[in-house]
Formats: sequence, C-alpha cells, structure tokens
Amino acid sequence: MTFMRRRDFITKSAALAGAGFLAPTILKTGTAFARGGNAKAEHVVLLMFAGGVRQQESVLQRYLEDSQGVAGAAGNIMPNLFNGAAPDRKIVYGTSLPGLPPGSEPIPRLLSNTIESSGMLFREVQAQSAGHYVGLNTLLTGNAGTAQGLKTRPRYPTIFEYLRRHAGFKASECWMVANGIGNSMPLLNSSDNADYGLQYGANMFAPPITFGSYGREILANGKSYSQQDLEPMYDIKRFLDQSFSLGQEQYNTVRNTEEERTWIKEFIRNVFVKQSAGQIAMPPVGSGDGYNIAYAAEIMREFKPRMLAVNIGGVDSCHSNFTSYLSALHRADHAAGWLWQYIQNNIPDIKDNTIFIIAPECGRNLNPNPILDQNDWYAFDHSDANARRVWSLMVGSNVPQLSVGSESNPVGRLTDIVPTIADIFGIYDEVMASGYIDPLAKSMFQRV
Amino acid sequence: MNMRNFKLLAITLLLFLGSCKRETHVTFGVEEANLYEDKALKTKSKNEAVYISVLYTNLYQTPISPSQLYKTQAVIYSIGDRNVANEMVLSNYFNTQGLTIPSNAEMRSDIESFVIETYKRFFLRYPSEGEKTWMIQYITRNSQLSVEMIYTGFAASDEYQYY
Repeated sequence: MTFMRRRDFITKSAALAGAGFLAPTILKTGTAFARGGNAKAEHVVLLMFAGGVRQQESVLQRYLEDSQGVAGAAGNIMPNLFNGAAPDRKIVYGTSLPGLPPGSEPIPRLLSNTIESSGMLFREVQAQSAGHYVGLNTLLTGNAGTAQGLKTRPRYPTIFEYLRRHAGFKASECWMVANGIGNSMPLLNSSDNADYGLQYGANMFAPPITFGSYGREILANGKSYSQQDLEPMYDIKRFLDQSFSLGQEQYNTVRNTEEERTWIKEFIRNVFVKQSAGQIAMPPVGSGDGYNIAYAAEIMREFKPRMLAVNIGGVDSCHSNFTSYLSALHRADHAAGWLWQYIQNNIPDIKDNTIFIIAPECGRNLNPNPILDQNDWYAFDHSDANARRVWSLMVGSNVPQLSVGSESNPVGRLTDIVPTIADIFGIYDEVMASGYIDPLAKSMFQRV
Repeated sequence: MNMRNFKLLAITLLLFLGSCKRETHVTFGVEEANLYEDKALKTKSKNEAVYISVLYTNLYQTPISPSQLYKTQAVIYSIGDRNVANEMVLSNYFNTQGLTIPSNAEMRSDIESFVIETYKRFFLRYPSEGEKTWMIQYITRNSQLSVEMIYTGFAASDEYQYY
C-alpha cells in the first residue's frame, strides 16, 4: 500500500513537473488560447489621425466661430467622420474652382453613413501628452510615455509586439505605415523593451520615401529573382548566419521568414509597376495624408494584416497657417472615409471582420499664437491643457453604435487604444498583466 | 681672431660634438603578418550609411557619391525589415553596369581561391576549414550557382552587418 502511494505520488509529481515545464512555453507565445477565443474581429486598422487636432474645429464643430471669433461661422468640416451640417460662411477648406474663392468648394462626403453614425464615438478623451511623438507612443503602447526620448524606439512594448508574442501573429500580419522618416517616426514599429522588442516588431513602410522618388530610384530597378534563384541565396545566407548566430538582444531589425521577405519584395516591385501604370488607388482629392493612406490600402489589399497602424500628420501646419490646417483637416477626413470605403468595397475577405479605430495623438491650444495667415487668422500650437483634449472613433465588426461622453463629461484616455485592440483580439488579460500599460487605461468596450 | 671669438667658437663646437650620438638599431623580433578580423569581435551593428558605403565600395570598387548614399540610406530606413531593404538594394546593384566582381568562369576555375577571397572581401577574415569545405562543396554541387547569388548571400548575411 505504501509502495503504491509512493508510485502514485511519483507519477503525479512527474506529470505536474512536466506540466509546469511546458506551461511557461505555451504561455510565453500565447498561441494556446489567443487565436480565435473571444476575438471581436480578425483585423484592426488604427488610423493615427496625428499632427495635433483641436477639439473645437473637429468634434465640437465650431469652425471659425471659436478659433477666430467669426460669429455664426460654426459647422462640421469632417463630414465622413462626424454627423453635423457644414458651415455656411467663409468656406476656405475645400477645393478651388476657377472663378471662385480659393478652397470654397467642400469635398463631397464619400461615406453614405458617417463613422459616428455607424460606430462608437468617444467625444471627450484625455490625451496623456500635448506632443506628437509621445502621443504616437501612447497610441501604440498604451503607456503615458512620460520618459520617452526622441529618436529612440518606444521604451514600452507596442501593440504589434503584444500581438506577435501573445496572439502569435506573424511579422507579415502586423504593419506600421509611417508618414516619413523624420524624427522617431520609423522607429515606431517596435520598442526596445527587453521583454518584447524587435523579435516581435511589425513590418513598416514610410510611403513618401519607400514609394517616392528615392524609392523608385533605389529599388524599382531591382531584379526579380525566381524561387529557383532565391533558394541558393537564402541557403548561403542561412549557412553564414548559423556561424554568426546573433542573440535576440543583438537584433537590429524586425525579422520576417524567407517566404515573408520574398512576398514583401515582390509587393514592393509590384507597387512600382502599378505606379508606372497609374493603378494605385488614391482618394479622389489628393493630399500628403491621402498618399500615405493609399499605400496603407495597398498593404491591406495584399497582406490583409491582422493589425495595421497608419500615421498621418498634415494638420500640423496649424503652427503657422490656420487656413492650411482647416484644409488638411478636411482632407484627412476625406482620406479616412476613403480608406474605410476602400476596405468595404475592394477587400471582401476582411470587410465584415475588421474594426477601424481613429484617434488623434494630441489636441491643440485654446489660445492662438501671434502668427497670421493669408486670411488674417491666427495659428495654434499645442502645449496647454486644451491640447490634451481629443476624441476617438471606432467602427466595424461587433462595435455598437454609441456616443460616449461630452465636453463636460470626459470618458476614456488615449492609453485605452492598446487595451481595446488587445480586447478585440482576445489577449486583454495578458496585455494588462504585462505591467507596461497605463494603470488607468481600459478597453473602450468596457468604458460603456 | 681674438680670444673672445675663439672661446665662442670652441663652445659652439663642443656643443655640436657633444650632441652627436651614434644611432642604435633596435629590433624586437616582430615578424610581418597580415591582420584580419575575428568574427567573434564583430559586435557593433553597421548603421545604414556604413553598410551601404562599405557595400557599394566593395561591389563597384569606387566610393558611393554623397547624394546616392543619402538617398539609399533614407530608403533603407523607410523599410521595417532591414534584410528586405538590403536585399532589394543589392538586386538593384546587380542590375547595373560597372560592378567589379569575378566572372562565373573565374569562380569555377579555382573555387577554393574564390571562397577564400570572398570571405576576405566581405568579412575581412579567412574562412574556417569547416566554412571553406561547406562553401566549396555547395558551389561544386550547384552548377547554376553564380557569383551574384553568392555575393548576395554574403552581403545579406548577419556578419556583414556587424563590425
């Protein structure tokens, strides 16, 4: 009897030890329960509506009445995102037609229903910073990022790293589309956090460079190798890399598999071919933001990423030209509407299982600086409490139609975006337990 | 010559004579040797500019122009996976004229020398016996393998991105 118990004990101990040995392996990658599970959607597109968007001209729809003191000149200049009638006085943000004042023709709305009327609008959200880069970091890391330096990778893990580590997404399933390579922009695809880092980072393009004149000159003439040609090249690289094995802490780049690399290179080549043939789909009214969003749409169509974040920033002209800011805001709305419409009309595989999230990274000041533009309107910087007032929008699969909060009743924080995406993909608990998320943040689904 | 001048002349001569010394030749027994890198010591990652500058000079045997360097650096910086960017830049270079690389016939005529020279050219070191053997066998077995393919493998390798 004693012998039997002892054997039982040993058997059970061995089983438990085995389970204990295996459990961390499973939990580390998270693949055991992350895919599927309670996922609310299969794809997320995060539009970082950046550059500093003032509450007053966007969600509050006060146009010139508030900013420049023009009585009766309130109205909505973002007709794809928000409900509300356009201003009827001093229209300067539209397109210019011959014989009419510059900018006097508003761009017609693209979406039959606004994002607000189809999804969830958080009207008054607290931003954690009044600056661009920390704001972008907040959107991607869910951390207030108060100690974040410039020209360095995010200190805290990005949503891409959480998804790759805990949901098991591949590199080619996670994409960041930057609007340039200035400052820290091309570093946003991964943090340098020791627990996550480049081994879990996302792919990234900065279309104005990658697919602009530099990219065409440097990349477009590349040879297109057959798989038969590529195999020995990869064989040699594999052999050489084995004898120079890098530790993960030495990685200096995001890493795709050979198949993914081949796919991405083919995509780049095809983009240049389509460019030459004039086949890149663009928003009807062009802008720098529209250009970036058009290439994000190309990536969406080709890779159907699980997570894509795209950054725009045209509205930052508000530092010195208010008229230009209004125009950029109107065009950014146009481009955002176009992207959602493009997904709905051109990518049938994902149109019904995608969630589109839109949020600025920071707002703008309550009071103007002394710089006047061509219309004698004052410009606005971003450094005061008003610059920490923003909004957020969400639409798509499993998103209720709701309007949450108001000017006098703020609800939510910008750090909510990462927990929300984690919630969408069913890895909320793992991400919140990482210790890197703002303790006051929570999923927007749990705010309502 | 008065006495004063004579004394001056004598002092000057004494100074000069006293400062002359027979040169001593010292030898330390150091033998001349060719110095090459050790891969274990390559711990610093080349940044985009260094990588491109070294690669361009390697392939064209002439320095890259500042404007070309700037553009290439920007493009590499704009792509998240540096390996993708480097491989694209390489395939672009191999589609241009002016490369100074051995012909496939030269490679096939003396594969061992080619392998050693390729290691020295890209990695600034000799291959180990194991590396040399593998590479020779791989080239010998694959008759379709070209210098371009081998150079691409080397230029895209992790070791080439470190110094």
